[in-house]
Amino acid sequence: MRQERWKTGVVAGAALVLALGPFTGAALGQAPSRTGARLPRTYEGAPPLVPHDVESRKGLCQECHATGAEGAPITPHPDRNHACVQCHVGQDLSVTPFVPSTWRR
Amino acid sequence: MRIDRREFIRATVTAGVVSAVGADLLVPPEAQAQPVVDRWQKAPCRFCGTGCGVLVGVRRGRVVAVRGDAESAVNRGLLCIKGYSLPKILYGADRLTTPLVRKGGRFVPITWDAALDLAAQRIKGAIRAHGPESVAAYFSGQSTIFEGYAINKLWKGGLGTNNLEGNPRLCMASAVTGFYSTFGMDEPMGCYDDLDLTDTVFAWGSNVAEMHPILYSRIVARKHQDPRVMLVSLQTFTNRTSEEPADLAVVFKPHSDLALANAMAHVLVKEGLVDREFVARHTVAKRGLEQIGFGLRDTDEYGGQPPSWATFKPFSDRGTVITFDEYVKFLEPYTPEHAEQVSGVPADRIRTMARLYGDPARKVVSLWTMGFNQHTRGTWINNLLYNLHLLTGKIAAPGNGPLSLTGQPSACGTTRETGALAHLLPAGHFVANPEHRKKAAEIWKVPVERISPRPGYHTMEMFRALDRGDVKVIWINTTNPFQTLPHAGRYRTGARRGGDRFVIVSEVYPSETSRLADLVLPSAMWVEKEGMFGNTERRTQHWAKMVEPPGRARDDLWQIVELAKRLGLGGLFEYGDVPLQKGLFEEYRRWGRGKGKDLAPYEVYTKVRGGLRWPVVDNQETRWRYREGFDPYVKKGEGVRFYGNPDGRAVIWARPWEAPPETPDGEYPFWLATGRVLEHWHTGTMTRRVPELHRAVPFAPVWLHDDDAKALGVADGDRVRVASRRGEVVARARVGGRNTPPRGTVVVPFFDESVLINVVTLDGYDPISKQPDFKKCAVRVTKA
Repeated sequence: MRQERWKTGVVAGAALVLALGPFTGAALGQAPSRTGARLPRTYEGAPPLVPHDVESRKGLCQECHATGAEGAPITPHPDRNHACVQCHVGQDLSVTPFVPSTWRR
Repeated sequence: MRIDRREFIRATVTAGVVSAVGADLLVPPEAQAQPVVDRWQKAPCRFCGTGCGVLVGVRRGRVVAVRGDAESAVNRGLLCIKGYSLPKILYGADRLTTPLVRKGGRFVPITWDAALDLAAQRIKGAIRAHGPESVAAYFSGQSTIFEGYAINKLWKGGLGTNNLEGNPRLCMASAVTGFYSTFGMDEPMGCYDDLDLTDTVFAWGSNVAEMHPILYSRIVARKHQDPRVMLVSLQTFTNRTSEEPADLAVVFKPHSDLALANAMAHVLVKEGLVDREFVARHTVAKRGLEQIGFGLRDTDEYGGQPPSWATFKPFSDRGTVITFDEYVKFLEPYTPEHAEQVSGVPADRIRTMARLYGDPARKVVSLWTMGFNQHTRGTWINNLLYNLHLLTGKIAAPGNGPLSLTGQPSACGTTRETGALAHLLPAGHFVANPEHRKKAAEIWKVPVERISPRPGYHTMEMFRALDRGDVKVIWINTTNPFQTLPHAGRYRTGARRGGDRFVIVSEVYPSETSRLADLVLPSAMWVEKEGMFGNTERRTQHWAKMVEPPGRARDDLWQIVELAKRLGLGGLFEYGDVPLQKGLFEEYRRWGRGKGKDLAPYEVYTKVRGGLRWPVVDNQETRWRYREGFDPYVKKGEGVRFYGNPDGRAVIWARPWEAPPETPDGEYPFWLATGRVLEHWHTGTMTRRVPELHRAVPFAPVWLHDDDAKALGVADGDRVRVASRRGEVVARARVGGRNTPPRGTVVVPFFDESVLINVVTLDGYDPISKQPDFKKCAVRVTKA
């Protein structure tokens, strides 16, 4: 079951990259990594964080998050496109904290 | 332009529905999940000037969550990622928790008593030896209204020096002088309701998508509702505001906005798009001084003489009245074709934009921020934008008007309104005006002769005076000038020249400024204290103290009052049985009452979710000033009255294009523009301590055009050196992503203390507003 979804995702993802290729050029970079595990919300009610780079794929969020292509979570508010990155920011998990935080829930 | 009764009702009803019922919530329902907390309390967001309402979740004495306040008319429940990160800005592991004094090049902890005694002793010593002009304070558009009012009273009414500035000088000063010179009175006439009622939004040099995300969301929501709504983005580089769904994205050459705005006025006149009746009834045309310099040398404000307190020559330009025909003649050379040569914007595009302003069937709102204000002709470009609205009569009406966006949460409420700037007294009064000084003496109960008629040092002059040794003691509070001042190298060195200089810094985290201090005072922040902020649209909001500050950190108002006591001026802050904050606010209200700046009683703000927009008369806020039916100061039958000016008219200024002080050349061939990113606030002292924000944007890159990168042999991620005649930084190149500069321009944000881009920038400023230009200087870029 899991395997099947993975395959569908790859096909959809490849189709997407092909479809977008002519329009995106360098801005697309590579397709988002599927390995990006969903990150926990900072606290209940805080927006989900994005486990992949969003900088190079500006304006393309809906290509995956409208349909769930590549296993992307489907947005519950597709009407709020164009403003996705105001709340949902990409996370480079290789970055160490600037200063540790003592915040707790 | 007249508003008929139907439009009046529509404006009233729309705003009423939105704020009362929350019918148009911006927040998606799934973001309304609630964590477990002991209580929720209202506060405005700590970051930008939008002034979003948040509900703060407190559990066991700590802030654990925030939610956008669905009852706030500003954000209707939505927040940006900085807002959602508010809980974490309080809890960086390196919060300053004890006063520190520099001893032998190291900081050692001392008690509050010792710290405050030392500060008071250095201030008294400097005044005794060198007069009150040797003491200065540099506060912030992030200070609360209480703090701004209190430091103003202590400095001007207590110590007798007007050397008090706020960092809005670097952020809003040109908007202030623009408002004053055109309307005789500060701050916008309109409000955010305009975004719901207009059908055309111009963003002039304002990357609203990143810098005011919630307002951008409102614009986008409006576009989704009504396909007729247009967003026009005018920028010096392509950024998120230029992207979809913008209808028209224009990139113009730096500093050419003066020519563009005049060319648009030219088109309005030539194509008969001027509202002649409005212009005749409500405006007067003027022409002012030209070739006014850039304040690049210390001697510029002293008639070319070496700087001294006595030889200071304040800039003054009242302008000369000209006829409308003379104004039209002034516009003659600014044909769209000429402006195309200056700006690189095709003449047809200029005509298209002008026609949007001129189209009688369209309403127009103009937004701007640092692109206009951080400009060596910042006052002028503000004036020129007002011209477009005045010529078309599209101003001070629902859905129509210029709306200057503020960078900081209380640049308006604190620095501008309480008058915490070197030339001001509270609520639009001036130190140079004898009547105003008399009023100050009465309200503050101090001898009138104590209040100096001479404006104090403005920000650039203040830090130059510290470098020269004319200022001996400076108190820097809630701001980070040694990262943010242009040509920062000079002022960083100046702070540590030694002698009898003494730098006091109140901060919450170690910063580039606290590291250069002699004395560091640990402050409380945001909901660790009671506060009030005033946002872009004249909205005053209050919050209560919710949690204790860490360690021995104390709030800045307490610091001001304790210092005053040690200076023998504690009586300034005695209000009998009335709590200090209420006492200060009720006293402050007396300044603006009957002056078009009326505020509600203190208690009202403690209760009202989302605050109120002044003037508040008979408990009614004001959404559109200068307009009959909305503004209680405009009498029946007047229609429109710009009552800031004695004749009730706004000024159409004839302001020319003039060349900037520094332009790219063979040696330094690139333009440099600095700015922000959505994820980080100013110098990053708070937001970089939020792990999610740091992981989103971990360092400040240098955005380059692809072709420039290729020509330099630089790939994305390579290290590049950005150097000017003043200094240099090394940072990583970024090709692509959120910003795409045109060829010949690089863009570097200023949040990163390891990329001190302000050692590169130029400290030239607008001689009228004294605001420096962080958006234009000449640099060389090489592979590092």
